[in-house]
Amino acid sequence: MSELLRVRHLTTSFMTGAGLARAVDDVSLTLLEGETLGMVGESGCGKTVTALSLLRLVDRPGHIAHESVIEYQGKDLMQMSPAQLRQIRGAEIAMIFQEPTASLNPVLTVGAQVDEAVRAHRSVSRADARARTVELFELVGIPDPAKRVNEYPHQLSGGMQQRAMIAMALSCNPRILIADEPTTALDVTIQAQILELLVELKQRLGMAMILITHDLGIVAGVADRVAVMYGGQIVEQANTDALFRQPAHPYTSALLRAVPRLDQPATRLATIPGAVPPATAWPPACRFHPRCPQTMDHCKSEMPGLTETGPAHLTRCWLAEEQHRRDA
Amino acid sequence: MKSVPTPLLSVRHLVKQYRATGGLLSRPAPLLAVSDVSFDLAYGESLGLVGESGSGKTTLARLILRLTEATAGSVRFDGIDVLDLDARSLRALRRRIQIVFQDPFGSLNPRMSVGAAVREPIEVHNIARGAAAVEKVTQLFQEVGLDPSYVDRYPHELSGGQRQRVGIARALSVEPDLLVLDEPVSALDVSVQAQVLNLLLDLRERRGLTYLFIAHDLAVVRHIAQRIIVMYAGRFVETAPAAQAYSEPLHPYTRSLLSAVPVPDPRGQRQRIVLKGDMPDPRHTPAGCVFHPRCPHLKKDDRCRTEVPLLREAAEGRKVACHWFEEPMTVPQSQAARHVN
Ligand SMILES: Nc1ncnc2c1ncn2[C@@H]1O[C@H](COP(=O)(O)OP(=O)(O)OP(=O)(O)O)[C@@H](O)[C@H]1O
Ligand SMILES: Nc1ncnc2c1ncn2[C@@H]1O[C@H](COP(=O)(O)OP(=O)(O)OP(=O)(O)O)[C@@H](O)[C@H]1O
Ligand SMILES: [Mg+2]
Ligand SMILES: [Mg+2]
Repeated sequence: MSELLRVRHLTTSFMTGAGLARAVDDVSLTLLEGETLGMVGESGCGKTVTALSLLRLVDRPGHIAHESVIEYQGKDLMQMSPAQLRQIRGAEIAMIFQEPTASLNPVLTVGAQVDEAVRAHRSVSRADARARTVELFELVGIPDPAKRVNEYPHQLSGGMQQRAMIAMALSCNPRILIADEPTTALDVTIQAQILELLVELKQRLGMAMILITHDLGIVAGVADRVAVMYGGQIVEQANTDALFRQPAHPYTSALLRAVPRLDQPATRLATIPGAVPPATAWPPACRFHPRCPQTMDHCKSEMPGLTETGPAHLTRCWLAEEQHRRDA
Repeated sequence: MKSVPTPLLSVRHLVKQYRATGGLLSRPAPLLAVSDVSFDLAYGESLGLVGESGSGKTTLARLILRLTEATAGSVRFDGIDVLDLDARSLRALRRRIQIVFQDPFGSLNPRMSVGAAVREPIEVHNIARGAAAVEKVTQLFQEVGLDPSYVDRYPHELSGGQRQRVGIARALSVEPDLLVLDEPVSALDVSVQAQVLNLLLDLRERRGLTYLFIAHDLAVVRHIAQRIIVMYAGRFVETAPAAQAYSEPLHPYTRSLLSAVPVPDPRGQRQRIVLKGDMPDPRHTPAGCVFHPRCPHLKKDDRCRTEVPLLREAAEGRKVACHWFEEPMTVPQSQAARHVN
C-alpha cells in the first residue's frame, strides 16, 4: 500500500498567559492508503491539535513550526498557498468533530449546510447539489432523507446530527477522513451505529481514516495501527494487535490496565497516579517520568527518542529500548 | 418465611410528568420522564442505574432528593415519607442524602475556594464551627486523596479529577447515609476515572455508605454496583443482581447495551447487536412495549406492539419487562455486526 500522508517533525505551539504551550512536539507519522490509524491518549495530550495541524487549521496564537513537514501524496501542505490548501481541505482530507452541535449552524437546515459543502469544491447547480445531499444522507443511513434535509439541527438526535456531519465530510469523496472523537458525546448504542457506519463507508469508498479517541475499546475494534500520545508526543506506535498484546511503553500498559472491562473480573482498577500536566509545563526529559511506575535515573535527565522495539513497533522509552537491546 | 430488613430507601409507583410542550413539527404532549417505577435500596447496598441519555436517570435521582417535585408515587427514606416533608424537615433529610453530579464545575461556586465549598455544608448543618470545621475539612481532603494545601484554590485551578474529589468531599462533609452519584466519572479520563472509582470503593468500605450510582457506561457500573436497574424511556426494563445482569442479561435492551460496549482487545471482538434508530421521544412513546420499535428479538409480534409488558419476577431477585425474555434471543443478520480489521 502506498503512503497517502507523511508527517515529519510536526510541532505546534501556542503562546499563552502561562508561557509557551508545546501542544504538539515533533510528531511524525505515516498514513497508508485505505488504513485506519487510531490515535489515543488522555485529555490534553495533543490529539486534537495534531489533527487540526494536519489541515493547517491552527489559528493564532497557535503556530506550526516551519520545519514541520505535512506531505499529502508527495505535496507539502506547509508550502501551499491558502488557495491550494482550500483545494485539499474537504476535497482530499475531511474532518469530523466530537460535538456535532458545535459544528452545525443552528439557523440553517442540515440539507443547506451539506449543499454548501458540496458546492464548495464543485460548480454544480443548486438542484444538483441538493440531489447529491439527499444521496449522501441516504449513504450515511439517515431515514427518509428527502424530508430530513429540510430539518434544522435541533430537530435531529445526536446520532442523526453526527450522521449529517459525516455526510458533509464525505461530500467531495475525500481520500482521508480525520474523525476526532466522533462518538464520545453519544450513547453506547448510537456509538455502535456510527462506528459500524464509519467502518462500512471506509471500505466502500476506499478511504483512509485517522480515528482519534480516548476509548481503547474503540481502537481495538476498528484501527489497523495505533499511535499513543502523551505530553504532545507520540510515545508508542504499533500494529493494533501488537500494541494490545505487547505494549512496550509503561504509559500504554498503564492506560490499558485502567480501562474497566466486561470480560475480566470486576476487581479494583489499576490507576496512573497524578494527571496530565498543562502543555506549558511538560516535565523535563521523559515527559511521563513523574507518573511512571518504572522511572530510572536516566528518564529524569534525558528525553528518550522514538526507537524501534519490535517489527513496525516504535517506542519512546529508555526502559523499552534497553529491554529490546537485551532481547536482540 | 425470611424476614426482610427495612430498606433504607423505598420508592413506589413514582411518576414525573412534565407539562405539555410541542416541538416545531410535533403536536404538544406531556412528557413522561419517569413512569411508575418502584424499587428498594438496602442499607449498605450499591445500586447501579443505567440507561441511555434521556431515559430518566437524573430525573429519578432529583425526585428522590426532592430537587424536583414528583407527579405521583411515594419515596420513603429510613421510614420517613420524603414527599410529605415540610421545608425544615427536608433540610434535615438533605443532610442524610447527598448528591454528586457529573460536572463538578457546574455544582461548585467558581468564586469560592474549594476549602470553603467543603466547609459550607459543615457549618450550615451545624456539624462543626471555627477551628473544628477547618480541621474537618483537612481530614476530608486527606480522605478523598487531595493534598490539604489545595483548600485555598479555586475550582478552575484544579483538574477534572481533583474537582470531582472536591465534590465527593463536600458530599461526605455532612456524613450522609446515602450518596447519589449522577455520572460521577463520565467526564474523566480513564486513568482518573479509575482513581475516582477506587476512591468510591474505599469510602464505601470505610464508611458503610449506601450508593445509588448512575451511569451510562456499563463497564464502569460493574465495578461499583451489586445490583443493577436498566432504564429505558422512563421505565425500568430489567433489575437484577449485577453478576447475573452481566453474565445472562434477560431483556433484549440489556443484551443489546452489553453487546455494544467496546472490548479493549483486538482478538476478543465479539458479535454485537447494533440497534436501529434512537430512543423514542418521551412525549410520544410507542404503544405496547416502549422498546419494540428497536427491539431486535426475532420473536417480536403484535403483542409487543399493543400490550405493555409488566416488570415481573423472572427468577429470584430478578425482574424483567419483556413478553419474550424466556426465549433465546436471536437477532436478524442485518443487525449483527462485527468490526473486522
Ligand atoms: N488555542 C489554544 N491555546 C492554548 N493552548 C491550547 C490551545 N489549544 C490547545 N491547547 C493546549 O494544547 C494541549 C493539547 O490539547 P488538545 O486539545 O490537542 O488535547 P487532546 O489530546 O485533543 O485532549 P482531549 O482528549 O481533551 O480532546 C493542551 O494542553 C491544551 O490546553
Ligand atoms: N425540567 C424539565 N422539563 C421538561 N423536560 C425535562 C426536564 N428535565 C428533564 N426533562 C426530560 O425528561 C427526560 C429524562 O431526562 P433525564 O435528564 O432524567 O435523563 P437522563 O437519563 O439523566 O439522561 P442523560 O444520560 O442525558 O443525563 C428527557 O426527555 C428530558 O428532556
Ligand atoms: Mg481533543
Ligand atoms: Mg442525567
